[in-house]
Amino acid sequence: MLKKYKPFLRAGAIDTMAYRFNILIWAVITVCQVACLVFLWLAVYRSSAGGMDAEIHGFTYREMIAYVVLTTIFNFVTFNNDTLWNINTDIKKGTIGNYLIKPISYRGKFAATSFGSLLTMTLMFGVPLYTAALVTLGCLGFLPDLTFPAFFAHLALFLLAGLCASLLNDTIAYIFGVLCFYTSSGWGLNSLKETLVAFLSGTLLPLAFFPAGLREAVSWMPFAGMSQNPVLILMMKYDLAQSLRCLALSAAWIVLLELFAKLLFTRAVRKVTVQGG
Amino acid sequence: MIEVNELSKVFRKPIRGTGVSGMVKTLFSRKYEEIRAVDKISFTVPDGQIVGYIGANGAGKSTTIKMMCGILTPTSGSILIDGVEPYRRRQQVAQHIGVVFGQKTQLWWDIPLIESFKVLKEIYQVSDADYKERMDFLGEVLDITRFLSQPVRTLSLGERMRADLAASMLHNPRILFLDEPTIGMDVLVKEKIRQAIHALNRTYGTTVVLTTHDMNDIEDLCSRIILLEKGKILYDGPLTSLKNRFGNIKTLTLTVPADIRAETAPVLSPDVALSEEDGRLILRFDADKTALEQVIQYAFRDLKAMDMKIAEISIGDVVKTILEQQEAEHAEKI
Repeated sequence: MLKKYKPFLRAGAIDTMAYRFNILIWAVITVCQVACLVFLWLAVYRSSAGGMDAEIHGFTYREMIAYVVLTTIFNFVTFNNDTLWNINTDIKKGTIGNYLIKPISYRGKFAATSFGSLLTMTLMFGVPLYTAALVTLGCLGFLPDLTFPAFFAHLALFLLAGLCASLLNDTIAYIFGVLCFYTSSGWGLNSLKETLVAFLSGTLLPLAFFPAGLREAVSWMPFAGMSQNPVLILMMKYDLAQSLRCLALSAAWIVLLELFAKLLFTRAVRKVTVQGG
Repeated sequence: MIEVNELSKVFRKPIRGTGVSGMVKTLFSRKYEEIRAVDKISFTVPDGQIVGYIGANGAGKSTTIKMMCGILTPTSGSILIDGVEPYRRRQQVAQHIGVVFGQKTQLWWDIPLIESFKVLKEIYQVSDADYKERMDFLGEVLDITRFLSQPVRTLSLGERMRADLAASMLHNPRILFLDEPTIGMDVLVKEKIRQAIHALNRTYGTTVVLTTHDMNDIEDLCSRIILLEKGKILYDGPLTSLKNRFGNIKTLTLTVPADIRAETAPVLSPDVALSEEDGRLILRFDADKTALEQVIQYAFRDLKAMDMKIAEISIGDVVKTILEQQEAEHAEKI
């Protein structure tokens, strides 16, 4: 049954490769952003009460810089996703009909494409970037001493968490995309989704910095699993038990969101009015 | 088999004001206008039939086709494709139908045609042996082999349409929906497309539902036609009975001497209508009421005809007459 989706997986992988120059430009921009963030955090720690030795919300300045660098790489590799825009285009141009008359699930098509894209991004950019970052950060002493068997366990869990994060991101993008059936405009929905995810996933700020009530609430939401948790697993800030709990939470959210997406699509598709004819 | 029962589709369209003030008003109060695109139609298409689905622009043809292939959900009524409702069990039905929308391509624009076919092969899970057999068949009847390696965007309209048709037939669908497959095609391409549809129907017993504005398509292909107007079925039956709906109408076009004019010429009977066109006389009559022989004699003897052409009424004329009558009735009501 899954074999039907192979062409979409391939297309996702190949398209990502085709846009490698775009991605390179994007990479340069990202490096600049990381530099800004690093200097920002250095300034924060320098001016804090405890100075450079301070530990703010459980993060030393070394850990914070490692966190910033790794989160940026993680987002860059994992969230390469055009699902929302493609759904928006399908609805606007009426090309959604082309998929509705084929024996495939619309959701499955996007999941396969995103997975293909994730594979390419991980192999082409993930492997070299993570290796470079881990080695550099390790040599500078910004990471805890990597004891090897334990590190490999964490690495394996990190890869799984990355897969979950990519799926979560794609499902959320899909849900927002399907909402375009009602709004007929993807722009606003995309901004909403991006802001929500950036804020609640810990990309802007680790969730530890949030006020206690909000932190507790957000820790039960799917967003932390999309950025913060995978990185903290890799940095070994989480022990194995905590890492597994995070994975379980993400898995549960994936199931829930996929069910919701299915329900939403079934309702929304009744609203389809294909242009022309 | 396709069973359509009391099918309706109502579109709700917001009424928008014109100009800036109208736009602002629409933001706050939305009024909707209901458009009944399809209005309680019922029909059944048995396996292996080729049905022509005709009607003016906006009669509801495409809407019906889109409901039959699962893109649109009916407002009320039901459709069964081999016993399954396409809008409820979309994927299941999609495996057994093929669809072509003449106005839009379903092929992937930037990749070579053959790659599109390979993708479709995987989506429909066509076995290697079947794929080869189908490609041979389609390559021959649609003549697509020549441009298989070109990206779709570089194909001419005729080539693209043939490619689209081939794509819709690749998985050997039991039912083929063709929405204006000959739109914008030249005569040769039209001919090729008709031949392909015939070949497919003969070889595989495929049921075909096609909409078209080209009455030659209908006369060439369809044993049955369904005529739709303003969402309702005006006529459903064999082509021949539609033609005979106004009797066995024949027209005689005569070349006559200059002094014979329609207004002054002797009249045979009130059943034989006389008119003039480009200096020729046109006689229109029902051959079941007035014998053809009698009219021909009259033409030579009384009208001094030097040359003549006998023609049966064309299906296009019949449809035109019916639609004009409808329009006139509609205008009267208002």
